[in-house]
Amino acid sequence: MRAPNQSRAHLWFIAPALVLMFLVLILPILIAGYMSLTNFSLGNDGADFVGLKNYTDIFTKSTYEKMFGATLRYVGVTVPVSVALGLGAALLVNSVTRFSNVYRTIYFLPVMAALIAMAIVWEFALHPQIGIVNTTLERGCGTWLEVWGWLARGCADGFPLWLGDRDYAIWTLCFIGIWQGFGFNMVLYLAGLTGIPRDLYHAAEMDGTKSGWEKFRLVTWPMLGPTTVFVVTISFIRSFQVFDTVEALTRGGPSKSTYVMMYAIFEKAVKQNLMGIGAAITIVFLAFVMVLTLIQRWLVERRVHYV
Amino acid sequence: MHELNLQGLTKRFGETEVLKGIDLGIRPGEFLTLVGPSGCGKSTLLRIIAGLEIPDTGRIHLDGRDVTDLRAAERDLAMVFQSYALYPHLTVAENMLTPLKLRNLGWTGRLPVLGPILSRGERAALMARVRDVAEVLKITPLLGRKPGQLSGGQRQRVALGRAMVREPAAFLMDEPLSNLDAALRVHMRAELSGLHRQLGRTFIYVTHDQAEALTMSDRMAVMMGGEILQLDTPATIYDDPNDLRVAQFVGSPAINLLPGEVDDQGRVSYCGVPLERRLSGAAQGPVSIGLRPEHLHLATPEQADALNGRVTFAENLGADTYLHVALGDGAHPVQLRVDSHIAAGLAPGAEIHVRHGRGAALIFDGAGKRLRFAETTTPAAQRPEMV
Repeated sequence: MRAPNQSRAHLWFIAPALVLMFLVLILPILIAGYMSLTNFSLGNDGADFVGLKNYTDIFTKSTYEKMFGATLRYVGVTVPVSVALGLGAALLVNSVTRFSNVYRTIYFLPVMAALIAMAIVWEFALHPQIGIVNTTLERGCGTWLEVWGWLARGCADGFPLWLGDRDYAIWTLCFIGIWQGFGFNMVLYLAGLTGIPRDLYHAAEMDGTKSGWEKFRLVTWPMLGPTTVFVVTISFIRSFQVFDTVEALTRGGPSKSTYVMMYAIFEKAVKQNLMGIGAAITIVFLAFVMVLTLIQRWLVERRVHYV
Repeated sequence: MHELNLQGLTKRFGETEVLKGIDLGIRPGEFLTLVGPSGCGKSTLLRIIAGLEIPDTGRIHLDGRDVTDLRAAERDLAMVFQSYALYPHLTVAENMLTPLKLRNLGWTGRLPVLGPILSRGERAALMARVRDVAEVLKITPLLGRKPGQLSGGQRQRVALGRAMVREPAAFLMDEPLSNLDAALRVHMRAELSGLHRQLGRTFIYVTHDQAEALTMSDRMAVMMGGEILQLDTPATIYDDPNDLRVAQFVGSPAINLLPGEVDDQGRVSYCGVPLERRLSGAAQGPVSIGLRPEHLHLATPEQADALNGRVTFAENLGADTYLHVALGDGAHPVQLRVDSHIAAGLAPGAEIHVRHGRGAALIFDGAGKRLRFAETTTPAAQRPEMV
C-alpha cells in the first residue's frame, strides 16, 4: 500500500502542463467567449452585457453575410485546387529522374517567401494599367487569340481591374493563395509518396495494372490517405486564416467582396475597437474550425487506413 | 503445362554486372530454386523473369513465345513477394480479388461506383473463385480482415492466395519465408511443397537459405557472382558439387576443407593421409580436399589413416552432436557429426582421432574446379557409403 501523500505525486507531474494549457489556450477562449456577450472596447471601462446581440448581428447583417460568402468562396476554391495541384506536382516531381530537386525548390519558393513581400509583387503585376498581367493580355488583342471571347471583350471594354474589381478580387486572392500554398502541399505529398513501398507497385504490376491511372487508383491514392487527411486539414486551416494578402492588397474591398473572417476580426476588434463583436466573430470562426476538425477526425477513423 | 526458357540474360546496374549471361531452361511443372548468397543476382533474375526488370541482353521464352518485351502485367505469371506486398487498405478478399478484377473485368466493370453494379454477375463468379482458393489455403475466416490484422504466417497465405486465384503459368517466389519465425518457416516449407504437388504448376523460388532449396526443390540452381554455378537436383548438388563454392555454400554445417597434394601419378594425400583413388589427368600441385561433417568418423590411434586432434567445442543437437576439432597442430579446424551418445564422453580439450569415410572426399583444384577420380574404382565407392 502506498501512503496517501505519495499517491498525489502524479498531479505534480502533470500540473505544469495543465496550468500552461489553461492559461494559454483555455482561458483566452473563455475570455473571448465572455467578451462576445458584451459591447466591450479597449479603454472603455463600462462594458455592458448585451447577451447574444453580437451573434444575431453576425447572422443577420449583410456585412457579415458578405464575410461568410467571401470566406467560403476563398476556402472552397483554394483548398481543393491547392490540394489537387500539390498532389499533381508531387507525382510529377517524383516521376522525373533528373532535376527533381530543382522543381521541388521552385514550387516550394512561394511557401518560404514572406507573403507580404510577395503581395507587393502581385500588386504590381496585377496593376490595371502598368501591371504585367494586363499588358501581356493586351498583346493578345488583334491576334487570333481573340477567338477567346473573354479576351475579345477585354480588348474592347478594357481588362479587369483584378484586385479593384468586385467580380474578380476574391478569385484573384484565391489564385495568389493557391500559388503560395500548393508547394507546401506538394512537399507533404512527396514525403507521403516516399513512404509507399515499391513492392506494392510491383505487386500491382504483377496483378495486371497496365496504366498509370490504375496503379494510382489501386496503390498511390489509398496509400496517400493519411497524407491527404493531413494536407486537407492544414489547407483548410490555412485558408480560413487568410489575412496577410487581404490586408496588403484589398483591405476587404471592393464593396466587401474580400471581407474574409480573419480580416473582419482584425477590422472590428483592432481597427474599430469593437472588441465584443470581434470576439463573437472569433468564436464563430473557432466553431467552424472545430467542426471541420471533427469531420476530419471522423473521416480518419472511418475510412483512412494507417499501415 | 508451361515451359520457360532463358537465354543469355545479362543485366548491369551502373558499373556492377549483376547477371553475366544466364541460360536456364525451366521444365513444365517443376519446383526450381535459385539459391545463392545475397548479392548473387538471384532476385534480379527472378524480377527479370517476372517482367519487373528489363534485361540488357538475352531473351525469355514462355511456351516458345518470346515474352522479353512484354510488361509484367501481360505475362501470365504471379509473384509472391518477401514483404508480401498486400494492399493494406483492402480486405483479404479484396486483395485476392484484385488480380481477377484487373484481368477479367472490362473497363466498365472497374469503374469506381458503377462498376460493381454493372458487373454483379461476373464479380460473383470471381468471388466464388476467391473462396475456393481461400478454402484450399484455409484462410476463409480471414477474408473480411485487413492485412494489418493478420500475423506473418497468415499474410504469407494471403499473398499465396492472391497469386493462386489467377491460375498463372508459373509462380515466382522471392524469399517468401524469410520474414517468418523459424518454426513456421519449416512448417511452410512442407506446405509449399504440398501446394506445388497439388497445383502441378511451375514454381520458381528464390532463397538464400540452402536448407529451403534442398528440402523443397526438384532442381536447384546455385548462383554466385551473377552466374549459375550448378543446376541439378538437390541430392546431386550436395553429393557431387562441381565447384568449391557450391560445395561450401550447400550443406550445414559447411563442408570441411583441408589442404592436400597431388603427385605426378595422380595420387592425392592430405595431412599425410593418402586417398585410395587416383585423379585422372590432373596436374601435380596443391588441391583442396572437401569432407562433409558426416564423412568424418571417430577412429582409434592404431588405424593408419587416423589423424589426431583435439575437441574445441561440442554442439549438441539432440540426436547428433557436431564436434569441432582442431586437427594436428591446430591449424585445421573441422567439424564432424557424431552420435550424441558417443559424443557424451568427449568434453572440449579431449584428444581424439579422426578418419574419413571411404570414397567420400571431394577434390577441388586451386581455382575451385572439381577434380574427378579416375574410373578405376567401383561405382559404389563413388557414392559416400555411410550417408
